[in-house]
Amino acid sequence: MGQLVFSSWGREIIDNRQGGDGTSEIVQKKLPVTFDGERSMVAFMGWDGIIVADPEVDVVAMAAEYAKRVQEDYCCAKCSPGKKGTRVLQDTLARILNGEGEEKDLAEIEALADLLQNCKCTLCMTSAVPVLDTVKYFREDYLAYIRGERRPRPAEYKVKLTAPCQDKCPAHIDIPAYIEAIKDYRYDEALSVIRESMPLPAVCGRVCPHPCESACRRKNVDESINIMVLKRTASDYEWQHQQTPPMQPKPRKGKSVAIVGAGPAGLTTAYYLALEGYPVTIYEALPEGFGGGMIAVGIPAYRMPRHILQRDIDIICSMGVEIIYDTKVGEDISLMELKQKHDAVLLAPGAHKSKPMGVEGEKEGYSGFLAGGIEFLRDAYMGRPTGMGKRVCVVGGGNTAIDCVRVALREGAKDSILLYRRTRKEMPADVWEVDGADEEGVQFEFLVLPKKIIVDDNRQVTGVECVRMELGEPDDSGRRRPQPVEGSEFVVECDTLIPAIGQDPDLSFITEDTGIEITRWNTVVTKFVPQKNLVGRDLNDEMGNPLTRILLTDMDGVFASGDAEIGPLTVVACVGNAHRAAKVIQRYFEEGEAYLTDDDFHEDILSHLGVYDKDEKVSWLDAIGRFDQHEIHGRERASAGNYNEVELGFSDQEAIKEAERCLRCYRVSMIAV
Amino acid sequence: MVSLTIDGKQVSVPAETTILEAAQEVGIKIPTLCWLQKVSPTGACRICAVEIKGIERTMTACNTPVKDGIEVTTQSEALTKIRKQIMELILVNHPLDCPVCDAGGECDLQNTCYELEVNRQEFKAEDVNPETIDHWQLIQQVPNRCVMCEKCVKVCHEVVGASSLFVNEKGDRAFIDKDLESCEFCGNCVSVCPTGTMISKPFKFKARPWALRKVPTVCTHCGSHCQIDLNVQGGEIFRVTSDDEGTTNNGNLCTAGFFGYGYINSPQRLQAPLVDQQPASWGVALGHVTDAIEQVIGKHGAGAVAGLSSPRLTNEENYLFQKLFRAAIGSNNIDSEARYGALRALKGLDSVLGLHGASNLISSIGSAEAVLVFGADPTAEAPAIDWKIQEATRQKSGKLIVANMRKVKLQRFANSFLNYRPGSEIELANVLGRLLVDKGLVDEDYLNRAVGNLDELKSHLAGVDLAQAVAATGIELAQLEEAAQMLGTASTVALIFGADISKSERGEEKAAAIANLAILTGTLRGEAGGLFPLDEKGNMQGLLDMGVYPEALPGFLPYAEHSSAFGKAWNAELPKGGLDADGILQGMENGQVRFLYLAATNPLSFPNASRWRKALEKVDCLVVQDILPNELTELATVVLPGTTFAEKSGSVTSLDHRVRPLERGIRPVGDAREDWEIFADLYARLTKTPLTISRSDILSEVSGLSGLYGDICFVGNDRTRPCLKQPFSPADKSFTYRAVSGSEPVEGLQLLSGKSIFHFGTTSTWSDSQLELVPEGKIEINPEDASTAGVKDCEAVKLSSSTGVAFGKVSLSESVPVGLLFAPYHFTEQGIQQLLQDGRNRSKVTISKA
Repeated sequence: MGQLVFSSWGREIIDNRQGGDGTSEIVQKKLPVTFDGERSMVAFMGWDGIIVADPEVDVVAMAAEYAKRVQEDYCCAKCSPGKKGTRVLQDTLARILNGEGEEKDLAEIEALADLLQNCKCTLCMTSAVPVLDTVKYFREDYLAYIRGERRPRPAEYKVKLTAPCQDKCPAHIDIPAYIEAIKDYRYDEALSVIRESMPLPAVCGRVCPHPCESACRRKNVDESINIMVLKRTASDYEWQHQQTPPMQPKPRKGKSVAIVGAGPAGLTTAYYLALEGYPVTIYEALPEGFGGGMIAVGIPAYRMPRHILQRDIDIICSMGVEIIYDTKVGEDISLMELKQKHDAVLLAPGAHKSKPMGVEGEKEGYSGFLAGGIEFLRDAYMGRPTGMGKRVCVVGGGNTAIDCVRVALREGAKDSILLYRRTRKEMPADVWEVDGADEEGVQFEFLVLPKKIIVDDNRQVTGVECVRMELGEPDDSGRRRPQPVEGSEFVVECDTLIPAIGQDPDLSFITEDTGIEITRWNTVVTKFVPQKNLVGRDLNDEMGNPLTRILLTDMDGVFASGDAEIGPLTVVACVGNAHRAAKVIQRYFEEGEAYLTDDDFHEDILSHLGVYDKDEKVSWLDAIGRFDQHEIHGRERASAGNYNEVELGFSDQEAIKEAERCLRCYRVSMIAV
Repeated sequence: MVSLTIDGKQVSVPAETTILEAAQEVGIKIPTLCWLQKVSPTGACRICAVEIKGIERTMTACNTPVKDGIEVTTQSEALTKIRKQIMELILVNHPLDCPVCDAGGECDLQNTCYELEVNRQEFKAEDVNPETIDHWQLIQQVPNRCVMCEKCVKVCHEVVGASSLFVNEKGDRAFIDKDLESCEFCGNCVSVCPTGTMISKPFKFKARPWALRKVPTVCTHCGSHCQIDLNVQGGEIFRVTSDDEGTTNNGNLCTAGFFGYGYINSPQRLQAPLVDQQPASWGVALGHVTDAIEQVIGKHGAGAVAGLSSPRLTNEENYLFQKLFRAAIGSNNIDSEARYGALRALKGLDSVLGLHGASNLISSIGSAEAVLVFGADPTAEAPAIDWKIQEATRQKSGKLIVANMRKVKLQRFANSFLNYRPGSEIELANVLGRLLVDKGLVDEDYLNRAVGNLDELKSHLAGVDLAQAVAATGIELAQLEEAAQMLGTASTVALIFGADISKSERGEEKAAAIANLAILTGTLRGEAGGLFPLDEKGNMQGLLDMGVYPEALPGFLPYAEHSSAFGKAWNAELPKGGLDADGILQGMENGQVRFLYLAATNPLSFPNASRWRKALEKVDCLVVQDILPNELTELATVVLPGTTFAEKSGSVTSLDHRVRPLERGIRPVGDAREDWEIFADLYARLTKTPLTISRSDILSEVSGLSGLYGDICFVGNDRTRPCLKQPFSPADKSFTYRAVSGSEPVEGLQLLSGKSIFHFGTTSTWSDSQLELVPEGKIEINPEDASTAGVKDCEAVKLSSSTGVAFGKVSLSESVPVGLLFAPYHFTEQGIQQLLQDGRNRSKVTISKA
């Protein structure tokens, strides 16, 4: 946005209309100057107030339009004040705009705004906030209309429905809608809503780190809604009732797309393009039965049972997606060949190569020193020999490291030890995963750094020499930086050492002749629309990538998505990213141009702004706390060969009760350009 | 328990109780408009807003659970203002057609406005309500009267499970829309509508609610016996309603219960006796009947007289019917359609369990942890059972296993759908039993205690060949195992079976196989669950209880053994032997039976109808006692106009043994008489001894002789307290496992005859409403079979079998598998029952274009 004229955002009034240069962090840093790289954002109206960045903005007309869109496009009609109140609000504002208003209408707007506080959800309730602000702070403008002194000028508005959870979810699933459907005993509808943004519901109902829950407004009352398990409930209901998914792909179209990799990104793009009728062929390096990419070979079956993952994959295939297994692009077929055979190519190879650890001896090829966590998980998953012994050390603090120590137990390790250089608190792994490992009997060595691999005469690993660490000053990530304690070297005995400190994409198949640029983090560079904030800084996503990317590579018709585009992240991030790739490819097919729509821009602007406010005071009775799913407990769950699912989901009744807790925090955002 | 204060009153309630319910506990009434106890709270109207100390915003009492220590205020100036203003908003563009609105006088919106003193409306907005929806059958939707409480949507989705109603459009344009395909036209949306939005077209503009007299009685369209009120004015029934409170059906009704009363008012009703098709007085007609009986007895003996009775008649009527035949006529040639269904189920269950019907109350299905619906379509056969299954498996988290040849509605909600091949029912029951034992999912202690021949059970199940069972049923082993797992791990199981079992070949053995399975699944233990044989006919249980079949006297007492005792009581010598329906049919054909009395029954709806038709033409005297004309009233020597349930008193017994009084809502039409009066009159004429008829006299005679109904106590018109027989409590070792095996060979295209969800017997084909929904019986055919036969949807076809032909239009449907046709039997003129061999419900047919 440009220089601030007026803001009531966050209930903080900054009014520069009579001069002054008050500003706020949101205007300075959070919002971009332009809507889409070209057109200026002149005003923003939403759940927490209005922001005006151009004195020419007709605030009254904007409020009238806002009320109209809320009532006609978004109001669900499922409560009386919302359904009727916003209609009266819309008509009252329209009357004023037509020069037929009276001053008492302003009082009525104020009364309605009050009444809307009694709504069932926050959609209509929060829509009253900015409208009321306009009446309060732009009363003269209203009176000018009422006196017949003003006519509305044409203006362009962009409107979007959002919610804190939906905004935070990288796939932007309409979470309040599917929770509402569960509350109404309509699991099929819930699943349909999920599938609009997420073709792997069984997966993301189980293994999602659920960033949505960190942006759940119910947290401001007691604890967040168990959004992930509700997704699982909707997804499990379908197969547990032997129902056939209702989706029907559109008639077959001519242009086809090749996808490199049957992981979450590849499958997602495939699904949405197949639904549109485009023939999709996925080339997958692993053999049949091991589709799913990192979901399959990176997430152990006790977290993500294979048959359930396979069902999600089978459903995607039933939409007309062909997966050619055992075919590694770059070896069995070249990227250029793919480009020739298809009208578009999506690169979604994932990140399946472990990062080196930097310990002495790691390149010696010692027996018992395994290639890496991700390779170990893959071998275990595929039933191949892993090379693991009985006393296993895994190095790392992320989810992959945790998966490795837990799989090691199931592969028959007597001792499974995690070595991590910081403390439990700093571990990037999800807390519940660490707790799970703990419960299963994994041993933890915190504040240790492996230095050297110890081997015997047969070059067999017998241990790893480590040094004790202590935490120093915080680094960029805000975590305290670990520093070695001099002279504290000691040996952890083990016969197997697995480095699991991160993974990289293997992009060797992208040859130089393609002209596709690769970043220094080994991800594919894609085109983007530069967005800057008022102080001139580029707006980036959480991985440091440009915020608004088109996902087209340097080569025409070749797109990229997933971990290889974003950097190694999460399934849900890949799904969101790949869903956008599908839309962009569709536009490329149908209009000859890969571009982003207003809705895409709006989505990115909101996610940069953040819809959730952790400081908001939410007034609600905290009568029923969060319900967690059932789980198998005890060490037996990790006994050798036992890959049975540990988490058991909700019963339908539990799901409904949990869904009842949802506050349905819809919000409407409107931007004037 | 959670303690809280509401308006200063202390109350302690269980956790998860809502504030609204807690307030009710201490007699505090919080106004509501959208709240409906039987569905999940909606929180739409916001009228029940209350204040809670420490919470800034108001909370809605209907969907806010209580919390320890909270202080709730339900009345304050602020709340009154909010409630009034919300009501004012609801009234924006609400039409002022209250004087002609159907809900006038029973409108919750009117009442709430009155209570909250909402007497003006200041808001205004453009009226964007959609037009009145008039194209739905039977129900009109007037969107501008709608308050969007969603009661209709919820009752349709949660209670009925039809899920046809939904909210369409956004904002103030939103309205309740319907998917017509899935609508069951049960009318529950109309009953729960608080305003005049959902309107019954048959009732519209016919009467004002306050002018109607409500007569509490029992719906006898099926054996569920929902408690209803006939809404009567001037000798006519205008509508049927049911209260949510105090009824076993929670106010829910099905299409026949709600709309199906039209046949009672039908102008075609038989209003006067006919002798040789000429109107006659009762004296002449009954004299004719008596003379004919005496003549036949004189010439051929009492064994030449036979009668078929009906599950449409009351307990007292059936009792009198068998007494008339056995004591006054001296013939035990009495039977009914039960011979081809219910009696087989009864015999099967009796032989294994000593059980004469359902083992538990219908309500106990609602809390079962697993429900197995085996060869039944409860939606059609006993809708109240469907609602209870919905409760167990959807409102609660019970597992549903549906075993059926075709996809019935409940399949939609099934955790496991065992789509077995026709004729493989016994093998399916056996293999489930075997898997339960194999997987250690049976309660050995219980079996030891309950079963007398445990060794036989074990050895028989051990002999069940899994591969053979998979081949016979066409169901994969993994799926059978999964179903067994669900049944075996549930601590309470409801097992429901229906016409596909009891009306089929070897029905008794199939019922026995299911009884075996009931033992193995622990269905017969405990309060929840139970075993439920379904028969679609209203008073089937009463008919069986009254011993209207030659093998037994009232109370299931074996005839030969107890006939002298009954004879003594009745002052008569009872005949030996007796023909059942098959015997009567043969007897008519070979001249042994000369006189047939059809009491409210139409054998043309029996299997092999054309054989019956021919046989009926042969008797010397055919007496037809019925309410509506049919082919047989035209054939009859004497026609005696009987009455419907709405015109009579007496009692009926539901499928779960609740005995309830019928209350007379209207006088019998024309000269028609209550059926028991006819029997009593004939009894008096034949024995020259007058017979008193009163409900209490007859029932005490029944209980004295049979031991049944001994605990019955009708208290005035009290419809809230059904009288129950004693719960089923089998003695130790009283169960006798019955080893049955084998499948029926099935060849060619098979036709299965059964019940439509919109029709009940043949009477509903006289109800305009039901005819508007389904005017003819369509033959369901799989698209693949249709393509093989070269027929298109809605095309007329001819079906031929070894016994007859039938005509009808086809309906292409994936509900039936390849190789199986399904047709409803209600429209006798279509001839579906002519295609069936004696006593069967399924036949090999050929199909051709008509």
